[in-house]
Amino acid sequence: MLEIKKSFSALMLTAGLLSAQTALAQGTLRIGMTAADIPLTTGQTDQGGEGMRFMGYTVYDSLIEWDLTSADKPSTLIPGLATEWAVDAEDKTKWIFKIREGVTFHDGSDFTAEDVVWNLDKLLDDTSEQYDPRQAAQGKSRIPAVASYRAIDPLTLEITTKTPDATLPYQLAWILMSSKANWEAHGKDWEQVALEPSGTGPWKLEEFVPRERAEMVPFAEYWDDTRVPKLDKMVLIPLPEPNARSAALLSGQVDWIEAPAPDTIPAMTANGFVISSNAYPHNWTWHLSRLEGSPWNDIRVRKAANLAIDREGMGALLGGLMVPAKGFLPPGSQWFGKPSFDVRYDPEEARRLLAEAGYGPDKPLKVKALISPSGSGQMLPLPMNEYIQQSLAEVGIDVEFMVVEWNQMINLWRAGAADPAVEGSQSINFTYFIQDPFTGLIRHLSCDLIAPNGTNWGHYCDPGMEELFTKIRNTFDPAEQDEVMRRTHEKFVDDALFLMVTHDVAPRAMSPRVKGFVQAQNWYQNFSSITME
Amino acid sequence: MFSYLLRRLILVLPVAFGVSVICFLLVQIAPGDPLTAIMPVDATAEEQAAMRAAYGLDKPLPVQYAIWVGNLAQGDMGRSIATGRPVAGEVFGAVQNSLLLAVSAAVIAFPIGIFLGFLAGYFRDSALDKAVTAVSIAGVSVPNYWLGIVLVIIFSVNLGWLPSMGAGPGGSRDWSWNWEHMRHLVLPAVTLAVVPIGIVSRTVRALSGDILSMDFVQALYAKGMTRFDVLIHVGRNAAATALSVMGLQLGYLLGGSILIETVFNWPGSGFLLSNAIFQRDLPLLQGTILVLALFFVAMNLIVDVAQAAIDPRIKRS
Amino acid sequence: MTLTEPLTSAPAPEARKGYWAGVAGRLARDPVSMLCLAVVAALILAAIFAPWLGLADPYKGSMIARLKPIGTPGHILGTDEQGRDMLARLIHGGRLTLFIGLMPVVFAFFIGSILGVVAGYVGGRLNTLIMRVVDVFFAFPSVLLAIAISGALGAGIVNSLVSLTIVFVPPITRVAEAVTSGVRSLDYIDAARATGASALTVIRVHVIGNVLSPIFVYATSLTSVCMILAAGLSFLGIGVRPPEPEWGLMLNTLRSAIYVDPWLSALPGVMIFVTSLCLNLLSDGVRSAMNVRD
Repeated sequence: MLEIKKSFSALMLTAGLLSAQTALAQGTLRIGMTAADIPLTTGQTDQGGEGMRFMGYTVYDSLIEWDLTSADKPSTLIPGLATEWAVDAEDKTKWIFKIREGVTFHDGSDFTAEDVVWNLDKLLDDTSEQYDPRQAAQGKSRIPAVASYRAIDPLTLEITTKTPDATLPYQLAWILMSSKANWEAHGKDWEQVALEPSGTGPWKLEEFVPRERAEMVPFAEYWDDTRVPKLDKMVLIPLPEPNARSAALLSGQVDWIEAPAPDTIPAMTANGFVISSNAYPHNWTWHLSRLEGSPWNDIRVRKAANLAIDREGMGALLGGLMVPAKGFLPPGSQWFGKPSFDVRYDPEEARRLLAEAGYGPDKPLKVKALISPSGSGQMLPLPMNEYIQQSLAEVGIDVEFMVVEWNQMINLWRAGAADPAVEGSQSINFTYFIQDPFTGLIRHLSCDLIAPNGTNWGHYCDPGMEELFTKIRNTFDPAEQDEVMRRTHEKFVDDALFLMVTHDVAPRAMSPRVKGFVQAQNWYQNFSSITME
Repeated sequence: MFSYLLRRLILVLPVAFGVSVICFLLVQIAPGDPLTAIMPVDATAEEQAAMRAAYGLDKPLPVQYAIWVGNLAQGDMGRSIATGRPVAGEVFGAVQNSLLLAVSAAVIAFPIGIFLGFLAGYFRDSALDKAVTAVSIAGVSVPNYWLGIVLVIIFSVNLGWLPSMGAGPGGSRDWSWNWEHMRHLVLPAVTLAVVPIGIVSRTVRALSGDILSMDFVQALYAKGMTRFDVLIHVGRNAAATALSVMGLQLGYLLGGSILIETVFNWPGSGFLLSNAIFQRDLPLLQGTILVLALFFVAMNLIVDVAQAAIDPRIKRS
Repeated sequence: MTLTEPLTSAPAPEARKGYWAGVAGRLARDPVSMLCLAVVAALILAAIFAPWLGLADPYKGSMIARLKPIGTPGHILGTDEQGRDMLARLIHGGRLTLFIGLMPVVFAFFIGSILGVVAGYVGGRLNTLIMRVVDVFFAFPSVLLAIAISGALGAGIVNSLVSLTIVFVPPITRVAEAVTSGVRSLDYIDAARATGASALTVIRVHVIGNVLSPIFVYATSLTSVCMILAAGLSFLGIGVRPPEPEWGLMLNTLRSAIYVDPWLSALPGVMIFVTSLCLNLLSDGVRSAMNVRD
């Protein structure tokens, strides 16, 4: 009764019927998102990476953006609403941004340096009229370097940082610009703005039904001609339940779904659906505790654990949709460098290292690990962790799990390894957005970010590492900065500072009618090039 | 009748008060910080405190309760933590969608249930009776959330006849009574109808069976009435009880559709509730439960009054 | 998934000694009930003795041997999405499912009986207090109440037990109160009271014996509802936590495998259906054997 293959023709027939009945325009793309709700529409989005992907870089722009045109190389920063930027030669805390000329918001008002100031106040100045706690909660922590800002003239912006910080351009890539005129036109009420927002982005939000759908149409006057959308319309539908998402795609109700469940992929490809995937800066690791007494303080133990895992074998569980970790950053990253420690499957070497560290079959090493049965971006945490448990057991590391709910996990991650609530767990299984210098490297191991003040869960603090971080922040030449990033990542790998397991590949399944999509190696994607056959 | 109505109305007040207390307590028994789900994972302690103050969660409990009840009286049910939108708007929109689904399920279930139950009761102990009993027991025994998944696979994925999710091609906002939209209703309504078919047919079978075996029915036959006339007579007698069961069922359908709505991505109150639970959106959870429970209270009231109108003996009890 | 209306018109209790023997005799002559009894007994026994049945480890999986079809040598019922033996998981799953499905009714039976008997016997203000609180809980449809409490408390076995018990106490209390009020006015109770026996003694000696069987019959009719509801909570993700085997949870985690092997992923659903069917039929059988009308 459930023979998928036989039903293919019936399915296609229905798809045909559907489009005939509903008179869908040729160019309507319907996307099933994993979020439970339409992301915040007012500017700074919620719902994590998915929010920025679908509601951020579609309706809005930032001063500096990610280049999303290539699938073959890691994406880099490109000019967005700012055409160029530079730090002051004398005072390394002063940055000057040239604002792009002739950019207009969807409501027709002009975009100027004043608008940037207004938007930054929206996030940072809680005394300002336009301060929005919801957007601030999403955006404030993204720009920790920013101390003050002013518009020198309509096309020149000055930003002052608290200390010299060369990662500022990466930070600003987070900040999306909403229209002041539109906010004023809606009674200065963000809630009203939410229903009819206005940005400078390639898509205009046309209709928005909370929790059900958002419809976007092209913004024909978009400043970058190459990114004016070819589609007539793009529809976003929240479908948080993976199987509901798969059924919606298979029955022709949506044309594209994010993150199909691995087990549904064979049925999809058998029915002619296309799976798109690509490496992107995401990792799935065990963040290790470096508190006194943690067994992970011994580099031999850390290396042994990294050598004990057959990452290729884990691929079967994920339908092959993963990139085995060779380091903390994905192997294709521009910052990967040339680490000397080869992260590979070598149980013999792992046993030898453990024996050297004083552990063996008769004296197994016992560790306690914090995991969660689900969570955004966590892939398939339970089976994957059980797989790791089995692998580590084979070389002589006995893992005891502490399983907590995802929300609780976030709290424990914020609290840090020293908090009594983690009950002595020596690692936490977390997945990281590692797209820029700060989120990619600095925030995990910086001394002044030790939890609960920051996101250094394991209380790691190393003068050598600290020096590298300082150097990243003080190297203002992008090429040189990349070089320092590579040195830093080499230290991450050579010291085996994490249990490096795998990288997600952002799988998405789509109808064969979807053409022209290029999946960039990024959390965000460009939808402008897509057409529907 | 009027005094009965009044008495019944007065009885509703303490229940409604109790319901509000339970709904408020629900949030207090919930562990953890409700704001966790919406903060960026790396928000600082200071940012978290700012958010807490913005949502009034830094105030002492009795104050929060007083504010909550005061606002309720003005129709303000607070704001969803996850979306920042007013809870009242979200809940009423969703309850409308759920009502649509529940009434559709009732429209399917009640006639079928009554018909089957009547047949079984009339031909008691026949093969037909046994078949109906089997159907009704299967109906109340099947986990309907599982049945829903199976129906989606058969009718949406394999046969492609019916859509698998949503409330119409343009979402619930564009709802209209045409096939294009109603086809979205078919699978969830049928799935939801399975349990009430079982319950209603059981009730009607028992009622009609009992009444048919009573003396006065024999007397009616003796008076030379036709089978049809007797059936009408029996039906009227059973109506009061059947009505109460069906009224309650409608309430249960509305409150119990959460699993079905999750399976079919139906934008109703159950779907809202499950989102609220997973995002730990406590104001939304609270508001949804409150509205559904008050609806159920109202439903009970209507059923009681209607029953009393049909069968005056009930007023005395 | 709905509570049937409680029996407010309880039958005149038969307290004679041969009564239960008669019930058992009548039940034994009903083949459907006996079959269901056998199935339920087998499930319960299997659940109790699961660790000694020589089954595979229900927690130990294998990535290579995942989603093996039914009939695979070594895995008669196949393996689940993590390569764990389905037979072992279904039987071990029965432990938790039946435990969470039946225990709330047992707890509610005791709590509800005590509350109802006290309310019905003492009457007056205490009765009003207890019954008005019960009324408040009755304002919530059962599924809604269970999901609301479990949703607020979070997932976990204890939380599920608590929320389901809270759901079933009010209906049982209502039935117990109605039955007790009926019994209270009977002549021999008056007689007992006239001899100066304390309220507790009268309740213990005379009332309990007469009211327990109708309450019990009503409680048995709740077991299948409770089981479906408990599995539903796990299915929704607010009941038992992974990796524990539980039918509702297994149904949930096997959902995406429906495209790989529909039969395999249907197994937990079939188990819930069969068990609930048998509990319903058995409850009907007991009812009619006890001469309790629908």
